[in-house]
Amino acid sequence: MTGVVDAETVTKRYGEVLGLNGFSATFGAGITGLVGPNGAGKSTLFRLLAGQLKPDAGRLTLLGHPSWGPGEFRRRVGYCPESPALFDWMTGNDFVTTLLRVDGFSRSEAAERSARAVAEVDLTQDGNRRLRVYSKGMRQRVKIAQCIAHDPELILLDEPLNGVDPVGRASLSALMRRLGSAGRQIIVSSHVLYEVERLTDQIVMIANGQAIAQGDLHRIRDLIDSHPHVIDLESADPRALGRALGAWDHVVSIEFPEPGRLRVLTRSPDTFYAALPELVLTEGLSVRAVRSADDNLDAVFRYLAEGRR
Amino acid sequence: MSISAPRYVQGSVPRVGRPSRVLAIVEREFRRRATWGPIFAVALTWFIVVLEVVVTVYFATVIGGSVSAAFESPYGSVIWVLLLLIVTATVGAGSLADDIGSRAITLYLSRPLRISDYLGAKASAVGAWLVIAGVGPGCVAAAVTAALGYVSVSEALAAAAGCVAVGLVLAIFFTGIALALSSLTRKSLYAGVAIFGTVLSVTVSVGVVWGITGNGTLLYADLLADVQSIAEAAFGQPSPYPTDPVASAIVLVLTGCVLALLAWWRLSRIEVVGE
Repeated sequence: MTGVVDAETVTKRYGEVLGLNGFSATFGAGITGLVGPNGAGKSTLFRLLAGQLKPDAGRLTLLGHPSWGPGEFRRRVGYCPESPALFDWMTGNDFVTTLLRVDGFSRSEAAERSARAVAEVDLTQDGNRRLRVYSKGMRQRVKIAQCIAHDPELILLDEPLNGVDPVGRASLSALMRRLGSAGRQIIVSSHVLYEVERLTDQIVMIANGQAIAQGDLHRIRDLIDSHPHVIDLESADPRALGRALGAWDHVVSIEFPEPGRLRVLTRSPDTFYAALPELVLTEGLSVRAVRSADDNLDAVFRYLAEGRR
Repeated sequence: MSISAPRYVQGSVPRVGRPSRVLAIVEREFRRRATWGPIFAVALTWFIVVLEVVVTVYFATVIGGSVSAAFESPYGSVIWVLLLLIVTATVGAGSLADDIGSRAITLYLSRPLRISDYLGAKASAVGAWLVIAGVGPGCVAAAVTAALGYVSVSEALAAAAGCVAVGLVLAIFFTGIALALSSLTRKSLYAGVAIFGTVLSVTVSVGVVWGITGNGTLLYADLLADVQSIAEAAFGQPSPYPTDPVASAIVLVLTGCVLALLAWWRLSRIEVVGE
């Protein structure tokens, strides 16, 4: 494996609890989303990459270096932890400047870079306020500022949009895309799947401490074609529509969750979508709305996670 | 023609060396501890030491007593050690515990920094406070007495040297204790209580055992006896204890260094686990 980050059967235990359980994945160039529910092992992987945890087994490298232990290569890495803990007695500017100085920048260079990074995350006006008065969203943004201020090659963002307001989310997402298109390698984790979907097509899906799928989102989407796909329909006469759809081989089940609604499980969503208009026209059926309940990463994850059990 | 995604490579920016990186943490840590508690404890130490030295030296010159004994007077008392203990607890208890407890230590250690650098920075910040409290007032008192004409400049310089010797030894010892106990917990309150508890319980119990057994070797484990013995020697006064002042100083300095090593060992094995 020759990715920016390579993980080979990495295992990390917290006593009896498995944080990672033989996790194997390769993270390449550009933005890669690490997607999984809470407790899946995302933050454990990030802490391993940040050198804060030692793998119990397996091999984990970033930029070609083992993840555990100190090293000068760490100045090529930016890490934004999930924890909201900061140095609360400092101002936002002091915080970023101090960490830049620890990275090895001179006092003046650190101050200059700090001002730039704080501006990138729209915190210039609040840069001289103490961190203890920052809101959760502002804390997230200042964490991102310290993470990108030294122009790292590899950026590790653990749940970076957590707690950020919608406007802030949009601007931080745009910042991540900018960094990604400038050639930075970014690994961004989230349990809110649509956030990752908007940032990148490259994802690694994690559940129960294992990588359950990785690669292009659309390819992963193809993997689930064999699973029943949920489609919700609204109709003036759902019973008649249900009778007609029940004749199709690929329809697994039909439910009526509430009046005027129909939920169909099909093994072939493409065939379903192709044939539905003709059926509606020829049979004179009423269809007011068609909605795929599975047309997002959440469903992909659910299918894949369930498929491995 | 092929199109490939750009790959960013970090440009070469001149970077400063490890000492400058460590200094950044020292500065921040020193300023962080400049809160009312430590400032009050340090101010009180200065007030008591300077006042006591100036007054006793004045009376020594008036009634013809020993000037050296007058300079030594605050360092042989329990109050001075207690004040430095308060400074240690207020400044040092949270030095590592706060960062470990909040997991903000991650922000430092995910950078190109060794644990020894981080620990050295923390030790320097705590040590600086202790030097200010332990060495500063004695030197200032010596300067004041010389300025007031109570003693000659050479006597004042000798007294200042004595203050530096006693103050530095105790600063090293207390810094080691603060780092070791602060590294063992995630709560600075626990570390503060442990600093007081450990020093006082060891000192009191050794004093009691010495009183019963009369074994003089035990006094090397008695902080008050060690400090008094070193202070008497530093100011050229006879010691009431059967211990060797040089050996006492070595015991305190070595204990401080071993405790700092313990903190390093603890940090090097620490894993920053989240909620």
